[in-house]
Amino acid sequence: MPLWISCIGYESYRQIKSELIFKMNSFYSGPSIKLYGKLRNWFNFDKNNVLQVYSGKIDIGQHISSTLALISSKITGINYDQVEIIKLDTDISPNEGKTASSLSVPDSGSAIKAASLSLRKAFIKYSIKTLNVNFEDIVFDNGIIKDIKSNRSISYWDFAKTNEFNDLSIPEKFDEKEIREFNYKNDQKIEIKTINDIVTGNYEYVHDMVFPKMLHARIIRPPNYFSKFVEFTNNINHKLDELGINLLIKNSFLAILSTDEYLVVKYLDIIKQNIVWEEVKKLSEDTVYNSLKNNNKESLLVKSGGEAFYENIPSLKEFKDKNYTTLTSEYKKGYLMHGPIGPSAACAIFTDKKFTIYSHSQALYDLKLSCSEYFKIDPNNITLKFRPGSGCYGHNGADDVAFEAAVLSEKFPDIHILLKWTREDEHCWEPYGSASLNKLTGVINDEGKIVYWSNEAFSDTYMTRPSNTELHNFISYNFIINNFTKHKSTPKTKAHMGIHRNLDPLYDFGENRLVKNLVHDLPLRTSALRTLGAFSNVIALECFLNELAKTKNINPFEIRINHLRDERAINVIKNLKDHMIIDIQIDGSYRGIGFSRYKNSAAYCAVGVELKVYDDLEIKLINAWISVDAGEVAYEDGIKAQVEGGFIQAASWSLYEEVKFDTKEIISKDWDTYKIIEFDNIPNIKTSVIDQKGFPYLGVGEVVAGPTGAAISNAIADALGQTVKTMPFTKEIITKELLEN
Amino acid sequence: MSKIECNLNINGKNKTVNIHEDKPLIFVIRDELGLTGTKLGCGLGQCGSCAVLIDGEKKNSCNVLAKDYQNCKITTIEGLKTDKGLNKVQQAFKQYNAAQCGYCTSGIIISLSSVFLKKNDPTKKEILSCLEGQLCRCGSHASVMKAIDKLKAS
Repeated sequence: MPLWISCIGYESYRQIKSELIFKMNSFYSGPSIKLYGKLRNWFNFDKNNVLQVYSGKIDIGQHISSTLALISSKITGINYDQVEIIKLDTDISPNEGKTASSLSVPDSGSAIKAASLSLRKAFIKYSIKTLNVNFEDIVFDNGIIKDIKSNRSISYWDFAKTNEFNDLSIPEKFDEKEIREFNYKNDQKIEIKTINDIVTGNYEYVHDMVFPKMLHARIIRPPNYFSKFVEFTNNINHKLDELGINLLIKNSFLAILSTDEYLVVKYLDIIKQNIVWEEVKKLSEDTVYNSLKNNNKESLLVKSGGEAFYENIPSLKEFKDKNYTTLTSEYKKGYLMHGPIGPSAACAIFTDKKFTIYSHSQALYDLKLSCSEYFKIDPNNITLKFRPGSGCYGHNGADDVAFEAAVLSEKFPDIHILLKWTREDEHCWEPYGSASLNKLTGVINDEGKIVYWSNEAFSDTYMTRPSNTELHNFISYNFIINNFTKHKSTPKTKAHMGIHRNLDPLYDFGENRLVKNLVHDLPLRTSALRTLGAFSNVIALECFLNELAKTKNINPFEIRINHLRDERAINVIKNLKDHMIIDIQIDGSYRGIGFSRYKNSAAYCAVGVELKVYDDLEIKLINAWISVDAGEVAYEDGIKAQVEGGFIQAASWSLYEEVKFDTKEIISKDWDTYKIIEFDNIPNIKTSVIDQKGFPYLGVGEVVAGPTGAAISNAIADALGQTVKTMPFTKEIITKELLEN
Repeated sequence: MSKIECNLNINGKNKTVNIHEDKPLIFVIRDELGLTGTKLGCGLGQCGSCAVLIDGEKKNSCNVLAKDYQNCKITTIEGLKTDKGLNKVQQAFKQYNAAQCGYCTSGIIISLSSVFLKKNDPTKKEILSCLEGQLCRCGSHASVMKAIDKLKAS
């Protein structure tokens, strides 16, 4: 990779490249086409009158199959209802990496757009040649080309049987005019592919799979990560044996299995009362915020472009001139959990020395290689098949449970094993979004120009996805090998990775001092949760920006627009302002805004919030406005669903959520001990989607979270007259901060 | 562990199952009768994804025993359909694509059906009351509220 690409990071490079190519009036097919460049890699015509499309991305609640079907339908001219997206199967689907990082539409959408255009062009050319007619003499309707004079016709399904189809390659770029000529509507109303089955109870999740003689399973979890299995008491293992209930014991990895799911659930509780674990190490020794400040850490300098470097960290500058105002601030956030409503699950069978694993993991191809490494088996003998799970917002328990199901299936060959995590498993054993601390210093001059900006982020890693070289990232692997030492993470340096995602401000603040601190020996297991470090970094940035603006009485919109050069960013903020102005503010309410461009290279989003803070410090959300620019709009309602869902989740993080733990165990074991937002605090949300026709797709799965937290925090600051700097904004935390100030 | 014969009326049909007497209703619905639209979420009666209608009232099925509901009419998401097709709550959800991952959706539809099948225009308080304890993690609430507005308007 050239040095300059290394400097800005590959994702930024990709984004810049696609935008540059756009400016040269070309459409870029995207990275997937480089690997899978044939039409047959993307389409299957075996079903009559159905266009089946392969994708390497999966439906994890974002309706990607509907968006991809719509993209293909618009270009191929085949009715949306007749386009099917084939569920990811590692034997037949393209490997497009993980379904993560808001890249599903940018990657798979661009690839399917390019493939569909190639298909359409080749089909028309083939039809004209075969029918021996002129272009003017044909009509094209729902995948069939008809010669209006002779009434002869050819369909895509006929074309798919030819060598032309089989051999055809997809170009890496197209003339933009070729795409524009279809003149499709982006606000088309469609029924999402899954909705009919969902509302009738027929949508099959992996949890619902049934096979003859199938064994239901649960893992027997210890009190914490550092617990070694010693023994059963009261002969419980023998009693289970007499009842025909199976136990599996591999060092400290234990599971219970039976054909009757309820017996598994019932005896899991009984076993937990009849088992001895040795606590090898305490879960924690101190509060997480003390640990974030005091533990060993690795500090890297983050430079413009968002990449981190092992370089000396410059000291904070001092500005003594009276024309400058200097502020410092600290923002804190606790651990957040993914907390899907349905606990993680997987189904696996080991038969004829081959594994078949049904999973809702974001990373099925990585899982295949990891299982290959663990079982020492050729990857060709492992098939991963996507089956829906409950909502996915990052690296949750899906990979763990799939690995565990595979381990169980090896011990019970020729029988399907359906393993489900319990609610307590999900709450206590998933990899959380890390707790974090941001220390900021900013200097603003009397003209309202910010001339110096320092942001130091302290956090644990967001990157512990399992891989064939990192099996220890499967939580159960460590219990299988009785290894209770915490693996030390290494800082990731690429642009906007993990802790330093969106640490580099899009604003022009004169001089920046940006530091990423990977703090070691923090208590809880962490990995990628929606936005990684961007949630806390954007909130810290956007709230501190308001604090600085307030010292000079500058309006929140003005301070942002004055420090931006990017026209699309300015446009999004102005769009938000226009929408907020229209709505009359309710008496006794307060407003706040937040803005971000995700990873400084993906979608732009500005959020406004109107809320009330009652005398008892209860916070009620009243209105929310979202303005988003995600490039060309493939499916407007899909974008709205993503950003509105993301808003609600981030509002929940901001107002309610923090994983609690003590020295022995995680205390947040269920929904009573880990509160999330409910229907009684959902504001009226108005979303404005800015369509940048012809520009590259930019994903929207994550962009809204940071601006949402910031808008809520800034509105609360307006209400209270001071910024609350610790999340979540519960009565207890607000009271504590008010008393401290 | 003693087993009992349990007579249940589910979705208008009488079913007899031979079950352990401490078996929660959800496992009978899902595993014995194959009605997997009812979802197991927490097993603690906290998230609402397992909600069913018992004589028209919403009830979480994960923390109650099947044997205690032998003389009741139990309706699951699969039983909401009428001869004319989807019930009005299901129709509104379909029209507004009111789901994300959908795992919580059947519980929410059951919950709203308990109100909208009795009243055409329930109050906001009644709606929020029936939705209490119906958790959604993806944030489908906004589209659910649009579906509710549609229901109230029709």
